[in-house]
Amino acid sequence: MDDYLIGVLSNIGVISFVALSAYLLLLTGEISFGQQAFFAIGAYAAGIATALWGWSLAAALVWGAAVSGGAALLVGVPTLRLHGLYFAIATLAFAEMVRILFELFRYQISIDGELIGPNGTDGFRNIRYIFDHNIDAFQFLLLIYSLLAAAMLGLLLLERSRLGVIFRMIGQDETLAELQGIPVARRKVLAAGIAGTLAGIGGGLYAHLTTYVEPRIFDIMLGVHSLAYGLIGGLGTAFGPLLGVLIDIGLLESIRALAGYRMIIFGGLVALLLIVRPRGLLDEMVVHKIGRGWRRVSLWARRSSLKPRGNSA
Amino acid sequence: MIDLVQNTIDGVMIGSSYGLLALGFTLIFGVMRRLDLAYGPSIMIGGYFGTVLYLYYGAGPLAVASAVVLGAVIAGIYVERLCFAPMKAGAAIASMVSSFAIWMQLEQAAILVLPRHTYPFPPLATVAPLEFGPFLVRVDHLIMLVCALALAAAVHLALYHTRFGLALRAIIGSPVAAHLVGINVRTAVLLTFAGASAVGGAAGFLVLAVDQQVTPMFGMWATLKGLIAMMIGGLGSVPGAVVGGLLLGIVEANSQWYFGPQIRDLVAYVVLFAFLVVRPRGLLGRAPEPAMPPKA
Repeated sequence: MDDYLIGVLSNIGVISFVALSAYLLLLTGEISFGQQAFFAIGAYAAGIATALWGWSLAAALVWGAAVSGGAALLVGVPTLRLHGLYFAIATLAFAEMVRILFELFRYQISIDGELIGPNGTDGFRNIRYIFDHNIDAFQFLLLIYSLLAAAMLGLLLLERSRLGVIFRMIGQDETLAELQGIPVARRKVLAAGIAGTLAGIGGGLYAHLTTYVEPRIFDIMLGVHSLAYGLIGGLGTAFGPLLGVLIDIGLLESIRALAGYRMIIFGGLVALLLIVRPRGLLDEMVVHKIGRGWRRVSLWARRSSLKPRGNSA
Repeated sequence: MIDLVQNTIDGVMIGSSYGLLALGFTLIFGVMRRLDLAYGPSIMIGGYFGTVLYLYYGAGPLAVASAVVLGAVIAGIYVERLCFAPMKAGAAIASMVSSFAIWMQLEQAAILVLPRHTYPFPPLATVAPLEFGPFLVRVDHLIMLVCALALAAAVHLALYHTRFGLALRAIIGSPVAAHLVGINVRTAVLLTFAGASAVGGAAGFLVLAVDQQVTPMFGMWATLKGLIAMMIGGLGSVPGAVVGGLLLGIVEANSQWYFGPQIRDLVAYVVLFAFLVVRPRGLLGRAPEPAMPPKA
């Protein structure tokens, strides 16, 4: 594969984590403008762990995920009492607070005569783990996609589990869920924690992919984009947000002929799409139909294989 | 002490424009119960209309002001037609994301028309600041404050002393009931968007004239400032929007003076976050409904 393709695919993989994070909260009916904050926390925490503390990449990714997941739990407790727009704006305020705090954050250590570490608005350079350990771009791509596959598997299992049903139920009607004896507030905080962890893993990967992070990357644009991915791709399945990322980064950003007009076309397309399909391409109905069709096909296949051949005469 | 008073004066002046931005926002949110993220970018489009007129035809302040308002209204109607009118009830999130998509579109359109990062914008007044004892007041700030208060008063009059205002308040209370008593809700919503964009356009003109420059980032700036001021003041409250804007201006001016621009932005978000967690209804708003009724 050529470098450009690897770059685009890596980007798609990493951004998918934030999109999945926003999607998980959308399932519980909450709009978050702030998942980029946990992406940022994961990126900084994992970057500091490898570049400054000399940790291994695996430990750093786990650390980044844990810190951002913990932060998400902490923020979830006061904010998830809020609903709808109030919650959305609170997450936005939190994310912008985090971004500005990273602009003020300085933590540098001299390593081999060179100052390394986050330096306010100048960002955090030289997160060189993958160069120092001779991991090439393709290997890192494989790492991104195996983690993404694991996350997807986890989410798909979650959606089939009791907890997943509870999340969707809360999203449909919170009062009804409460009446069924579901501890709504606690389940929502849990959803926020899982979502924060997902974004944190993505952030850790991002920091090591680009070797450089700065606070400006994690602005509200990233947050609203990741929210939009779920809505474009569809809210019926965890594949929805992935499809959204693929359409935006894969299709539009890669077609260079569109440069300059990309947002005009993309913006218009999204607006029109949402009129026809307000819950995205792969919404619940489509997913249900695909599932039913698949069950029919597999049933038919099983029957025809069970039927003894040449018996009809 | 003199610094504090001076900062507060400046804050009130700047805050009046935040109040106007919040006013337009709160009108749209009131009738739609949906967030229009493209509100700021529509105003930015108006700003670009004005700048083009100024750069290529040397238009005066009045012509530029009308161009800004007109541009904002056209863009606002475009957003309403595309992101709000065709959406089914209950597709609130879809409307919001769709307005975000149009935000991206408007920003790109502005960059295509004028590709540099910043462009000059005609100033309001270039005379020396007025002196009141130890305090200085910029003349353009004073014009901004007076215009903002006059416009807010006009919006208040329109809402509470006209037939159309009565219809709007009926829609804000209950769209279904308003429809049943014969109010043409769709037309009223379209007119609200146009009116709110005009108010926003006026606010945009005042801010741009004070800054004397326009950038594509102005859209995001206007959406964020309007949103913060609206939430602090209380969602859906006209006086709240103005008070919230003034408070935001005062807080920002003082924190900028004492701690610099980064802390200024931080403090604005901390205040917003604290309000949402402790007192979500804001300064003058009604208590929020237990849950947002139509969720997408």
